[in-house]
Amino acid sequence: MPEKKRQLLQVEDLHVSFAIQGGRVEAVRGVSFSMFKGTVVALVGESGSGKSVIAQSILRILPSNGTIDSGRILFHDRELGKKPVDIAGLKTRDPYLYQMRGGRISMVFQEPMTALSPLHTVGNQIEEALRLHRNMGHAESKEETVDILRLVGFPDPKGGYERYPFELSGGLRQRAVIAMALICNPAMIIADEPTTALDVTVQAQILKLMKQLQKKFDTAILLITHDLGVVANMADEVVVVYHGKLMEAGPVETIFNHPQHPYLKALMAAVPHFDMKKGERLVSLRDMGKEKVNAVSEFSSRYRVRGFEDKSEPHLVVKNLGKEFITRKGSFFTAGEDSKVIAVDDVSFEIMPGECLGLVGESGSGKTTVSKLIMRAISATSGQVLMNSKSGMIDVLGLNGPDLFEYRRKIQMIFQDPFSSLNPRMTVKSILLEPFDVHKVGDPESRERDVVDLMKLVGLDPRFLNRYPHSFSGGQRQRIGIARALALHPEIMICDEPVSALDVSVQAQILNLLNDLRTELGLTSLFISHNLAVVNYVADRIAVMCRGKLVELAPREVLFANPVHPYTKSLLASVPYPDLDRLLDFESIQYTGEDYTSTWPDAFKPNENSGLSAIHLENGHVVLANENVDLRELV
Amino acid sequence: MLSYIIKRSLYMIPTLILISMLVFTLIELPPGDYFESYVAQLLASGETVDPQKIEFLRREYGFDLPPYQRYFKWVIGMVQGDFGYSFEYQLPVREVVGDRLWFTIFITFCTIIFTWLIAFPIGIYSATHQYSWGDYGLTFIGLLGLATPNFLLALVMMYFAKEYFGTSIGGLYDPEFIDQPMSWAKAMSILEHLWIPVIVIGTSGTAGMIRRVRANLLDELRKPYVTTARAKGMPEFRALMKYPFRMSLNFFIADIGSILPSVISGAEIVAIVLSLQTTGPLLISALQSQDMYLAGSFLMLLAFLTVIGVLISDIALAILDPRIRLAGGVSR
Repeated sequence: MPEKKRQLLQVEDLHVSFAIQGGRVEAVRGVSFSMFKGTVVALVGESGSGKSVIAQSILRILPSNGTIDSGRILFHDRELGKKPVDIAGLKTRDPYLYQMRGGRISMVFQEPMTALSPLHTVGNQIEEALRLHRNMGHAESKEETVDILRLVGFPDPKGGYERYPFELSGGLRQRAVIAMALICNPAMIIADEPTTALDVTVQAQILKLMKQLQKKFDTAILLITHDLGVVANMADEVVVVYHGKLMEAGPVETIFNHPQHPYLKALMAAVPHFDMKKGERLVSLRDMGKEKVNAVSEFSSRYRVRGFEDKSEPHLVVKNLGKEFITRKGSFFTAGEDSKVIAVDDVSFEIMPGECLGLVGESGSGKTTVSKLIMRAISATSGQVLMNSKSGMIDVLGLNGPDLFEYRRKIQMIFQDPFSSLNPRMTVKSILLEPFDVHKVGDPESRERDVVDLMKLVGLDPRFLNRYPHSFSGGQRQRIGIARALALHPEIMICDEPVSALDVSVQAQILNLLNDLRTELGLTSLFISHNLAVVNYVADRIAVMCRGKLVELAPREVLFANPVHPYTKSLLASVPYPDLDRLLDFESIQYTGEDYTSTWPDAFKPNENSGLSAIHLENGHVVLANENVDLRELV
Repeated sequence: MLSYIIKRSLYMIPTLILISMLVFTLIELPPGDYFESYVAQLLASGETVDPQKIEFLRREYGFDLPPYQRYFKWVIGMVQGDFGYSFEYQLPVREVVGDRLWFTIFITFCTIIFTWLIAFPIGIYSATHQYSWGDYGLTFIGLLGLATPNFLLALVMMYFAKEYFGTSIGGLYDPEFIDQPMSWAKAMSILEHLWIPVIVIGTSGTAGMIRRVRANLLDELRKPYVTTARAKGMPEFRALMKYPFRMSLNFFIADIGSILPSVISGAEIVAIVLSLQTTGPLLISALQSQDMYLAGSFLMLLAFLTVIGVLISDIALAILDPRIRLAGGVSR
């Protein structure tokens, strides 16, 4: 603390528990911390650590089966009276609570889509707080709402007032939620993972906005997050919780420079960061131990991808791939006009045998569409995909009937969501047997053996085979998904955001496993992610996609050291590092809105005379730029 | 919005044409026609039949024509407001149905209102007090209502109405008002009799409705925007009404389309037991005696009501839910 600030909120020995079938679960077990006026306190922890429960306790909006068992939450707010009030001790329907909620303490939620009602306009939902706490008339409150929308950066605040949430982009929705939290000028804002659901460039914009507004109104923020990068950039003080207990608390400098608690140290080592050397491993929080690595070597001889003596020919070639989605707007009576959305626009790349190509892009950039096109899950509008298989060259997009069926064995996918990608009504065994069944591989005995081997390969106990997916954690489910993908000995593996739904610690385990499998089995892989640090950890080369176009492709060291395309640059500049010496440069982050190319130099935009084309720089560095541009201009 | 309503109304035309074909086919399916069953009936009672007269009647009403010609005759007549002639009653269909239709619509309307008035508060209570004694108790009563056969309930209610209120058995009004023009006394008598069919027909619908209101509201109560509203400091009841309840209305409005025909057709047995002057018993007897025009017009009427009900619910949904109104980027 640079200067002595007034205390605002004090949480003392808080205990919260939830009634579940057959007993109670203690979610928070004796947490104490305090907040001062106008400071940002970050509450850090993995999912299930109880951090959201603490926030809900402060506002007293716990789900109906949750109760505060003991402890005090003292709120010192001059506007609501001289003496501090113990929020935890109030009755559920105490008028003080209704005054406090939204008026003095407000909340920003994680999912801006579901946090807003789809049936009411943004303006209506924002001004509601004013009507409740300020007794304002409609005209007056509308004026203030439009003002606050302008303040949070709505391009057209008057029009924004009339919009429904589903008409806005994710970033704008979150701005609306922040406007809602700010409108009554509260003493404190609780932000529950406010940027987790957003793209990295939008995240940077929202963080900048929150920081600005926090300074401007001298509001205290309780920032709940699992992302240490966000913490480093936003917080003054940090509180680390684990399993409902406080692990460590202190000023942000101390926490980052001299972490004391082993949990905090482990948490920091588990996050992939950009300064990692090639071959450096993440240290996962709960290590799988030695036996897993042995298991990999034991089975690798059987699962190894064979037949690639010559590694100079690419394994997979994608040439000028394009995909248009056409939505019909007509009806039964009218022909209507078809509106075309170009999801993938002239994308070309190659993957060498045994290589891992990272495909990075924000939501809507078309990266998943590319993977579906390669998988032949959807059909391409134009272009070519060639696979240099063991059995010869395959023209993937031209495959039909039995050939296509045969192709499916050669390429497999690992999905993003480990919960919905496994059928909850099938045991792990039947999930893993299914690929063998479908492709009629082996006899019952050999399948049985293979399934056990697969389990060992991904580091799961084969005794779990008869369980159902719900009895596994997210990380274990993802292992099952990986085992299923490996069952048919594929040559190429596509990983579509395989760790984005997982906690940091589990993420490290899965990334290590994927890396081990890849090097041991010699798998060629395409790794899709929005997280640059993760891609940096696993990929050999990285391709960056923006609005359906591949804008830059380079070996990973080259890309991070010397990004050329303005989009790549802005992407790299938006990543929050968990490092106090490399904070985000908020000055350079700008709200781009729909016209994202406006800040790009002319060299990267098409003009009347010439379109865009891929320009080759040295070291296999390719960038999409204007055809007539001078090479030296780019570098 | 206007273009949506116009477009949506135009969709009704092909639907109704298809339904009319279906209805006509259904009526044509049983072998024979009204005259055959008429002859059989006369012979059974020992009377002589003049085959020439029957033949003449057949020609007169176009029964010798091929089916598609009869279909067009029927449809064109309906469009002009001529619903054909009921052989059994020897009257134009319009006159036979006449009053009965209004009574039916009236009873249906009252029943729907009754159902809503009971089901909504109970459903909301059950959802907000899930797994409480109140929830279980009310659910139990609702399920009893669902499980009791309607005709049985009708008999029991009639008995008690006679016993305690002196209401005459059966009918929609006291016997002395039969064939009387509408008057104040007759209207009062109708109101006195009305509550029995409304309760009887309404109970089963109410139980189902309670469950649906409860289930839909429970889904919505768990949504994050409810937490948002609470975090804003909204009083619980106001937040409940403005957000989750409003959202849960969607299902319910979508339901109006199916509620109209189900209440009308579901009430036939009860109407017979209670000897109500509604359309249900008429339809059943018309179908039994193959009174083709009467039955056909009736079924068309039901279909028309259904289509109208769906139209109303679609328009109401579009007004209530901006996601439907603005779907596909329609300009405001």
